[in-house]
Amino acid sequence: MNRLRLAAVSFLNARPITYGLERGAGDEMFDLRFDLPARCAEALASGAVDLALLPLGSYATSPEDLRIVPGIAVASRGPVRTVLLAGDVPWQDMSSIALDAASRSSVMLLKLLNREREMSPSLVAVDHDEIGTAASGTRGALIIGDAGLRLGDRYPHIYDLGREWTALTGLPFVYAVWAGRPGMVTPEHVRVLRDSLRAGLDNRAEIARGWADERGMDPAVCESYLHNNIRYRLGAEELSGAAAFLHRAHTAGLLTRPAARLRFFDDGRLEHPTCNSKLAPALPLPRSELAFPRPNTTRSVDGLLADAAAGLRLGFDDAIRLYNDAPTLDLGAAADARRRALHGDSVVTYIIDRNVNYTNVCVTRCKFCNFYRPPGHAEGYTLSKEILAAKLQETVDLGGVQILLQGGLNPDLPLAFYEDLFRWMKANFPLAIHGLSPEEIRFIAEKENMSLRGVLERLVAAGLDSVPGGGAEVLDDDVRRAISPLKCSTDTWLEVMRQAHALGLRTTATMVFGFGETPAQVFGHLEHLRALQDETAGFTAFICWPFQAEGTRLKLKDDTTAMRYLRLFALSRLYLDNFPNLQVSWPTMGPDVGQVALRFGGNDFGSAMIEENVVSQAGAVFKLSAGDIERYVRTAGFEPRRRNMRYELLPA
Amino acid sequence: MTLSPIRDKVRAGEPLTFEDGVALYRHANLLEVGALANDVRERLHGDRTYFNRNFHINATNVCVASCMFCSFARLKEGDAGAYTMTHDQAWAKLQERVDAGDPVTEIHIVNGLHDGLPFDYYTDLLAGLKRIKPDIHLKAFTAVEIFYYHQHYGLSVEEILRRLRAAGLDSLPGGGAEIFAPRVRKKICDDKCTADQWLDVHRTAHRMGLRSNCTMLYGTIETVEERVDHMLRLRALQEETAGFQTFIPLAFHPDNNALMKLPAPTGVEDLRTYAVARLLLHNIPHLKAYWIMLGVKTAQTALWFGANDLDGTVQEEKIYHMAGADTPQTLTSDEIVRVITEAGRTPVERDTLYNVVAEGEALRSAKPFRRPVRRSLEIVS
Ligand code: SF4
Ligand code: SF4
Repeated sequence: MNRLRLAAVSFLNARPITYGLERGAGDEMFDLRFDLPARCAEALASGAVDLALLPLGSYATSPEDLRIVPGIAVASRGPVRTVLLAGDVPWQDMSSIALDAASRSSVMLLKLLNREREMSPSLVAVDHDEIGTAASGTRGALIIGDAGLRLGDRYPHIYDLGREWTALTGLPFVYAVWAGRPGMVTPEHVRVLRDSLRAGLDNRAEIARGWADERGMDPAVCESYLHNNIRYRLGAEELSGAAAFLHRAHTAGLLTRPAARLRFFDDGRLEHPTCNSKLAPALPLPRSELAFPRPNTTRSVDGLLADAAAGLRLGFDDAIRLYNDAPTLDLGAAADARRRALHGDSVVTYIIDRNVNYTNVCVTRCKFCNFYRPPGHAEGYTLSKEILAAKLQETVDLGGVQILLQGGLNPDLPLAFYEDLFRWMKANFPLAIHGLSPEEIRFIAEKENMSLRGVLERLVAAGLDSVPGGGAEVLDDDVRRAISPLKCSTDTWLEVMRQAHALGLRTTATMVFGFGETPAQVFGHLEHLRALQDETAGFTAFICWPFQAEGTRLKLKDDTTAMRYLRLFALSRLYLDNFPNLQVSWPTMGPDVGQVALRFGGNDFGSAMIEENVVSQAGAVFKLSAGDIERYVRTAGFEPRRRNMRYELLPA
Repeated sequence: MTLSPIRDKVRAGEPLTFEDGVALYRHANLLEVGALANDVRERLHGDRTYFNRNFHINATNVCVASCMFCSFARLKEGDAGAYTMTHDQAWAKLQERVDAGDPVTEIHIVNGLHDGLPFDYYTDLLAGLKRIKPDIHLKAFTAVEIFYYHQHYGLSVEEILRRLRAAGLDSLPGGGAEIFAPRVRKKICDDKCTADQWLDVHRTAHRMGLRSNCTMLYGTIETVEERVDHMLRLRALQEETAGFQTFIPLAFHPDNNALMKLPAPTGVEDLRTYAVARLLLHNIPHLKAYWIMLGVKTAQTALWFGANDLDGTVQEEKIYHMAGADTPQTLTSDEIVRVITEAGRTPVERDTLYNVVAEGEALRSAKPFRRPVRRSLEIVS
């Protein structure tokens, strides 16, 4: 194999990324050199290198169809300290701004922020070496790199453009990514690049010391910069930030081509949100503690929708405002734009799996549930292995790839029951186990007097593949107390998911609405999910549906009209900017509304072979075969593809 | 494709062309077409969304025709499931309502093409209903029936209409249009009158001062071009007479009929047809989402894709239910008001001619959707 030629920017913030490579990791694979950002772009364009740590602006303006290495970026959320606008006068009084051509992204960022302030100072190019002293009078200067760290308070007016961006959008700014031509980078390359970064992150103090010594700088400043200002993860939040930047730059006419899509090299393992819904791998990095409230201005509904459609993070109050006031089709169009940005305009996925409710014995007595029987009841059951075997075999025969295994909280079933069941299933059937909602896991932990983590570890060892997001209903303790007083609290539900994600399990998240909850409670639910996803990136998909009242003990009217569902669904797509997939709920809404929801942000049609006791006993009667699903997906204008639980496409 | 040229025409109130209609069907983004149709709908009606209190009488299902999509008709008396109501049976349906204090305003009457009934059967049927409730609006007999009576009883269309009107007929329903294209008609409803005959019955009715509705059956074997052609022929007649009140697209239902192998149109196709219809038929004031056939959820969604009418409280609907519609057969007016309100629209109860029967406070029994209030959780254990 030829060695891959790499060019990386010669800035301090790139050093953690190249740390391992500089120390010989993957030597037989890579050949590394350093340069200024703009020159890295040139080297890639001329073919002098194969992969470059490239400013995002250069990625977007490249005439070539480049791919990004997933998971790695130079980004900041809030102050970055190395992209500064400095001057003797305040920003609004600057008549011109000096800049060097070192980083196209920083220049574009400056232009965008100028526009936002409705300013158009003239931009004057100066030499890289002169930039530190270029500001005087009404001329400001854009100062990037080390010069920024050294700037101190040399000027009375200093603006951190990273901070400005986050204040404007609520999102991180992505400065640079590894980019190259398609086909150049293999999953093995990606692995080594990530290892190199991981080593760099562990040795930030050493990197800072080395850098400071060579340049006569303060090592503490350098180290704090690497720890507190720069983040290296390219996760869903960063991707939203990157997409927002490209979108704004295009709208502002700074990018002549339509906003470039973010496309990725295959890393062979994990899926990434923007590329067939693949999930970005979450590197274990500390989240910046800085909170940036969005400027407190009253935005128009149209403006909010445009921002949300562009991938900007939607605030809690703004979401409620949209829920109350936005026209339905405008909500749909914004969510549709987000779906398209995340998934392209061709594929809608579905899975063939089967829902098996292994027991209906339950001590929890939720008021909306007409599935359970209390212990000792004549109609209580726990499925025998014979019955299970028949169901599982049938699933395999029908092309199923997974079992969704959920049941009541049956006090007779110890952890050993589940371990035995999982091992037996794994030994006999080629099916993934998507099983045990947080409530069941918590119940087992209580029964066995074990930690959540301990139970999860044992279940994983026995064969558990992923955890379904059931039992969330509305994650608001007032609502929970009213409808399911014995069920786990919001915090417990989230904690089970956090622990599962920490063990590398992927999970889904659900919401059942229509219990009389307020919009604030609905968006509180989504906020809990979004915050946890920021932390763990472990959720694959979100699914919501209205509570089906018929035959349950809750005396509520069915909230099953299509309109609230479609509006909430579209808003979920917009609010959950870090969730890769949204699944439509045709079993409760009917296939026609489910299909329409594909234009309100949905990119997954759910499961073809449904045996959903909990819902079907409350009157949802729709049944679709794989053929039906494909027809609904096709007539909505998409190509249906089968997937597994990780949302990886199965061979067509 | 970009919608802008079409959007400009719609904004300027210019009629769309055949090509525009086809392009809207084939190429445009669903939500964009929907939003444009919604603009037109809101320009015409604002948020107002109509419904009425009505019920159906299908007096006989004996029919000499054998339309492929029909699961309702039986060829002759005595066939399994064939029925013909006596006058007393039909009248009793209204009498029950009146006795129960039901404020119904309209009866929708359509029937098979029965070859063994005297013409008096129909005039007496109408006259008897009017005797029970003189102010009930009788919307009766599709153009196909009228044309059949003309042939069968040897009277001109005008004479048939004159006699029915004298007996109590108030307006004509829009059924039987199916698809005008002869290619399709020949295959799916060869026994029915032709497109020109259908249009001519309505022309005559309009000339006599009767209002009527019009329909299109979609989702069988017709092409998109044939749908557009159908709508444009309705538009042309409307240009001439202005007698149509409402256009009602009817989705084909595949169960229990000779076209069982065809799948029913899906929700996205339904919504697109509504939106395209709203845009093409600029001169027909109302567009009705017939919930019996679409299902309540899709019909509610259609209120954002051009539709401004949900039809009625409809009871005893036979034609679609014999074709497998699994919608409820009746919605109370409270339920209809709730469906409309939760769609963010303003419900208005109308009579058949779109005079307002009740609106505002008089209908406000459902909670508004746009300003959700916290419902208290009533819990019974
Ligand atoms: S919803 Fe689940 S936890 Fe609640 S009663 Fe039903 S089975 Fe038990
Ligand atoms: S659709 Fe009408 S005309 Fe055709 S067979 Fe049925 S009842 Fe007769």
